[in-house]
Amino acid sequence: MLVFLEMLRKTLIFPGFLFMFIYGFLLQFLDRKIYARMQNRVGPPWYQPLADILKLIGKKVIIPEDADAKMFRIMPIVSFSAVACAFLYVPVFGMHAVFSFSGDIVIVLYLLAIPPLALFLAGWYSRNVYATIGASRVLTQMFVYEVPLFISLLAPTILAGTWSISEMTAYYMAHPLYALINIPAMFTALIAFQCKLERAPFDSPAAETEIVSGPLVEYGGRLLAFFIMASNCELVLLVSLFSAIFLPFMTGMVWVDLLLYFAKTLVTLSLMILLRTTMARLDINHIVSFCWKRLAPVALGQVILNLLIRGVL
Amino acid sequence: MNREEEIISILCTEFPFLHERISIQKAKRIFTNVLRKDEFEQVIRFVHDEMGFWRAHEVIGTDDGENIGLLYLVSGAENIILILRTSVPKTNPVVKSISDMYLSIVLHERELVDLFGVVVEDLPDGPSYPLPDGWPKGNFPLRKEWNPEYLNKAAMTYEPPSEKEVKV
Amino acid sequence: MSDKGKNLVVIPIGPQHPSLDEPGCFTITLEGEKVVNAIIGVGYNHRGLEKACESRNYYQDLYIIERVCGICSHTHSTAFCMAVEELAGLTVPPRAEYIRVIVAELERLHSHLLWLGIACHEIGYDTMFMYTWRNREKVLDILAAIGGNRVNYGVNTFGGVRRDFDGTISSAILKTADALEDEIKHYLDIATTETTLMSRLVGIGRLSREDVIKFGAVGPVARAAGIMDDIRVVEPYGAYKEIEVHAVTDTRADVYGRTVVRILEMLESLNIIRYCIKNLPDGIIAVKAPRRVPAGEVIIRVEAPRGEDIHYVRANGTDMPDRVRVRAPSEANWHGMKHMLEGGYLADVPITIAAIDPCYSCTDRAVVIRSGNDTEVMDWMGLREYSINWYKKQGVDISSLKL
Repeated sequence: MLVFLEMLRKTLIFPGFLFMFIYGFLLQFLDRKIYARMQNRVGPPWYQPLADILKLIGKKVIIPEDADAKMFRIMPIVSFSAVACAFLYVPVFGMHAVFSFSGDIVIVLYLLAIPPLALFLAGWYSRNVYATIGASRVLTQMFVYEVPLFISLLAPTILAGTWSISEMTAYYMAHPLYALINIPAMFTALIAFQCKLERAPFDSPAAETEIVSGPLVEYGGRLLAFFIMASNCELVLLVSLFSAIFLPFMTGMVWVDLLLYFAKTLVTLSLMILLRTTMARLDINHIVSFCWKRLAPVALGQVILNLLIRGVL
Repeated sequence: MNREEEIISILCTEFPFLHERISIQKAKRIFTNVLRKDEFEQVIRFVHDEMGFWRAHEVIGTDDGENIGLLYLVSGAENIILILRTSVPKTNPVVKSISDMYLSIVLHERELVDLFGVVVEDLPDGPSYPLPDGWPKGNFPLRKEWNPEYLNKAAMTYEPPSEKEVKV
Repeated sequence: MSDKGKNLVVIPIGPQHPSLDEPGCFTITLEGEKVVNAIIGVGYNHRGLEKACESRNYYQDLYIIERVCGICSHTHSTAFCMAVEELAGLTVPPRAEYIRVIVAELERLHSHLLWLGIACHEIGYDTMFMYTWRNREKVLDILAAIGGNRVNYGVNTFGGVRRDFDGTISSAILKTADALEDEIKHYLDIATTETTLMSRLVGIGRLSREDVIKFGAVGPVARAAGIMDDIRVVEPYGAYKEIEVHAVTDTRADVYGRTVVRILEMLESLNIIRYCIKNLPDGIIAVKAPRRVPAGEVIIRVEAPRGEDIHYVRANGTDMPDRVRVRAPSEANWHGMKHMLEGGYLADVPITIAAIDPCYSCTDRAVVIRSGNDTEVMDWMGLREYSINWYKKQGVDISSLKL
């Protein structure tokens, strides 16, 4: 019984869903604030992301006549639950995630493929020209970044010899120098994450000046709130995954590890904000050629390198 | 002889009917008197094809009482503006489009159609400009007799006082 | 909306769209992401200015003409003043000519900075958008100090200018010019080296030299294709007769070329402003203009930030003009638009439209408010009452402001 309550606490509160929501709001606030300060603006106050979600939840939901109402309503929830579920397998601090088993990295990557698909279906079933174009761009972008993303995240697992994220973190903590071998994969993973989150320079699917808002153009009210929450939580998930796999420095002491976790995720976030601030939006064709011609070869090279080193070890 | 005078002498040699009907107003402005439609068509084709006047700035419509005056502004590489005048009667305002030579004149010719009621033949298809879609037909705002105060904006109809009580 | 046999999708950009500042309807037919057909529909901002000018006297018309466009307001009012001055045979004093040039170049600066910001916003580069608009605020502060308003500064009058400026404003202008010069050189640097920016601008919206001649484009669009049509060089007017202007041309003939042309023009404007302030002649700033303008007709050309602006004024000896015709530069640039859009991609449509720096404002609009089935028409006085009452409810009383 106690074990059950312990599991419940871990899942729902810390390091589970509640922690994910709160940290998601914090990261979104930092993202917008640092972006604004770099542009010489003031930026929003700390409670802005929370205020946005609360406001959206209070608004009326309008579903266009032509749209498929059932799919329209289900997609935000699908997107959000996939991300929330995936978060349970990522070690937040310490070496153990809430649940871990061999092969959970594959489960996480699989669950992470659901939000873009949900976005695509949401745009498709909105029956709006702008949404359709945005939806097709989401899928195009997904096809091109999935390969470098998967390979960059799987290369460290080859070196570690395990398919569980928690065990991988433990391995790299035991052998910290091996983490340096994964540096090329670190760069490609960072760029692939920027692609996945649809942030500049890869925000072509939601290009405001071209297709108004992309796939979510018809969404409003609490359905849009769910999509935005999914996006926030995806950000938390990806920076946590990044820190767990590529930045495995830990001391074993609980509170120090927590602070280290915050430090690592904030550094990762800063790099992503820097990419967002200093670059223009790339055309979808440029994104395709960039991902296939530059990202994928580097990631493949990393895999080959890791295989060779593993063979030697 | 400066370039403006050269242009005038070339045009007068080619078209004797221009003699005494073309003059320099000031530097870089050559005005003609009102030409007949056929005379105008010959001159504009000549200056476009033979004299390199490739830019048509605009065509200005004016309300001259019984007629609608048309001023065509063209210029070439030396940036001297030649202003060719012609005129069509309000009762039969038909003129041929010069958009086969000067593509950029299309928007201005559409303005003549909407605002003066000129019928421009051979104008390429396209949305009317600049008046909105619900504009009452037969109302040409830039003609002097059209008074904007009689336009009923809510109903988009023109109600001159001869048909109803005068209302300011 | 889609033709199943050929996979064509018709997408409307406008009349309301985030990428357009003003309404215009561009109906784009897409095959995948490629644009195969484009229909340009403008005229949403028609305000009936030319008709309005015919029933008002010249001084009232000066206010109307200035408001043809918010961004090139000074050039329109300069052209109209020049027209009336030529008809009435007035000689504008040299100090007024120099002041007109200074304000015109400041206007060119703020217009090009605005354009640079909007262009970057269209391609998703918001950081540059914020930086250029921050710099634009400096220019607008100067213009507000000179004329009292950030746009539509009302500096011109028939026979000269209405506002003079003293040493404090001159030194403020010079200080701002120095600060801006560094910033603008930095933008030139970014424009020539930032790869994501260049990938979105190079090769887009091509309008070659032959096309410019065919479609009759003016301004930076023509200059980017190598055609020198800067009126300040071709037909100098006012103080430009004494000032040497190094107009900028480029050969790239695409959006990138237009970007480079505008940035270099900004640097040239700063030089002209500095020269004018250094050599500002003393003297009166206006001569008296008659109320009735002698009969005649005149065509005036000036160089607006967007290109060649032509005014035609016909006077009949009374105090109201017989005909006023304004041909703003953007009118000449629309025709090449169809050609530039077709064959490109959807992603390039906003930046191509923005690259000709369109100014849709050219005519009249009545205000019609519909709520449910009732239609209410408000004229100008009604609008003023409405806004005064609205502000009273907020606790602000502006009814004492005189018209």
